[in-house]
Amino acid sequence: MNPAHPPLAQGGPRLTPGEVQAAVFQRAALGRRGLDEDQVREFLQRVEQELVQLLNERAALGQEVDRLRAAPAEAGAGDAARPDDAHFQAVRILSQAQQTADLYVADAERYTRELAQEARQHRDAILTDAQSRADRMMEEAHQRAAAMADQAARSVAPAAEPPAQPASAPDLEETRADGLAPLDADERRRMEREIAYLRTYSDVYRTHLRAYLEALLRNVDEWERSEKENPEKRP
Amino acid sequence: MDAQRLKENFARVAEHGDAVALFFYSDLFLRNPHLRDMFPIGMTGQRDKLLGALGHIVSNVDDLGELVPFLQGLGRDHRKFGIIAEHYPHVGASLVATLRHYSGASWTPELEADWIAAYDVVSHVMLEAADQDAMAAPAWWNGEVVAVERRRFDIALLRVRPDQPLPYQPGQSVAVELPQRLRQWRYLSMANAPRPDHTLDFHVRLVDGGAVSAVLVRSVQPGDRMRMGAPVGTLVLDESSQRDVLMVAGSTGLAPLKAILEQLSRRQDPPRTTLFFGARTRDALYDLPHLTELAARCPWLTVVPAVSDEPNGHGFAASFGSPFGGPAGVGGEGAPGGQGAQGAPGGQGAQGAPGWFGPSGPPASGDAASGHAAFGDTLGSAAAPSGGPRIEHGTLAEVVGRYGSWHGHDVYVCGPDAMVESTADRLLRDGVPRDRIRLESFAQR
Repeated sequence: MNPAHPPLAQGGPRLTPGEVQAAVFQRAALGRRGLDEDQVREFLQRVEQELVQLLNERAALGQEVDRLRAAPAEAGAGDAARPDDAHFQAVRILSQAQQTADLYVADAERYTRELAQEARQHRDAILTDAQSRADRMMEEAHQRAAAMADQAARSVAPAAEPPAQPASAPDLEETRADGLAPLDADERRRMEREIAYLRTYSDVYRTHLRAYLEALLRNVDEWERSEKENPEKRP
Repeated sequence: MDAQRLKENFARVAEHGDAVALFFYSDLFLRNPHLRDMFPIGMTGQRDKLLGALGHIVSNVDDLGELVPFLQGLGRDHRKFGIIAEHYPHVGASLVATLRHYSGASWTPELEADWIAAYDVVSHVMLEAADQDAMAAPAWWNGEVVAVERRRFDIALLRVRPDQPLPYQPGQSVAVELPQRLRQWRYLSMANAPRPDHTLDFHVRLVDGGAVSAVLVRSVQPGDRMRMGAPVGTLVLDESSQRDVLMVAGSTGLAPLKAILEQLSRRQDPPRTTLFFGARTRDALYDLPHLTELAARCPWLTVVPAVSDEPNGHGFAASFGSPFGGPAGVGGEGAPGGQGAQGAPGGQGAQGAPGWFGPSGPPASGDAASGHAAFGDTLGSAAAPSGGPRIEHGTLAEVVGRYGSWHGHDVYVCGPDAMVESTADRLLRDGVPRDRIRLESFAQR
């Protein structure tokens, strides 16, 4: 036992190196040589106990060290205490965040796309409707004008022709073969017919056009109003 | 370096799909948070691109003739993103970490050494190409929008002036990034041959739900800025050829062909050229008046417009083109619909100087000219629209096919994917040699 360390001022039951160094034995009783045997024996016993305890503690500590050394290896990749694992954990969290962001972006894109498609369909429907209205309006103008033209032709025909002839289509065909005078009448009828057609057509057309333009103006007003009511900031 | 081992390892890792790229970027950004800003918020497309490029590189790792030009292009291409030499090692480290993570037990020190060596070569080739490119051209060009013309509710023409000359070949395109949509690059074709003032024209079509096209078509104004990458693309004129030319343009696919047309018109003796310009509906033929005018000035040029989604009507209303939006028809996207009425709300809001993209022509026109002419035709059964070329009906592939044989021609095709594919198929079947067809398509997104 080599008391290399300075003596520790430590009481308690355990033997300290200081105690060993400072151990003093009384001389043996008169008539005997050397130190007091009893004192020495008692001291040696304490030293032995201390040694046993130290060895035991050392062995326990050795086991503890072994156990601790072995523990991380057993725990492997799942142990969050290691720096590498912290990194993987962070990668996982960041990846999840990114996926969430991607999802939001995709959702927003899909929403805009659907909105735009809907608007486009709306627009197409409006235009188709306007188109078919326009078609109907043209047809109507044409039909009415044609009817008017026929009527005009009929009312002109009796005046130009010999009164005996009624103004029906087959008769008109016949009169054409008759020579110059009927030709003039034909020409006149044609012109009357054309004029009646044009007059009626333009009337009907004008009426519809006016209605259409007025509707358009109302739309523009509405548009302007709604824009004023919902002032939207430009991006 | 064992190429086979790399391929096998990558194949195994790639089985994890998107997760691989997800791990890679998370790892990269955790180790280098400052790099996150160089990427868009949504990374879905980015991850697809990464896996695609990696797959291409790995599968050609033993074919340098193929790999090197690809990597050089990649290196040059990354300059506009602001990628510089010091970023490369970070990427390499995260790449190896990712491969190690997904290789599990099959990861070996030899494999790691191989990957590191391979990445060294890849980054070296990319950087060398980028450095070489840097001697001749900036990493990107800053541009200012000088004019906007909205031709239709979903089509706009932009004129942009770059801060320094941007040399390109007619038919090429540039990647464009708007400050309103940072980190989102879209390719746009120049619609003009290079000009002395270096301005560039772009034709942009609104894509439903498209983040960038919506801004370009609806809200960009003169004075707005954009960033442009280096010109790319192989849809360029075959200068060595003396053959006649066939051009087929679908919608805004017209832009690059118009640039080539302009280039041809500068020749002493331009080749006989036929341009088919198609869209779904008549009012989507947004540049027809200008093209018609051009054809009238150039005897060597024939322009044939075509619409695919309108019946070839001879009805009474067919002659009344303009004010109510042309003949009764079925609109695009398979939905019932007519066409844009000029001047109707939501129609073309003309902005900026009207008609400046065309030399003269009626401003903001559509088919106004033929429409007005048709007004005089009161009886209206003869449907020949005056004032413009006759409009063909059918898909571009059909119409081009109907016009007979093109095998003596050089062919240039640009437009939506499906249109380009069907047109090219048709021409190939008709005997046009593959190497005389140059094409480019854009995705509908």
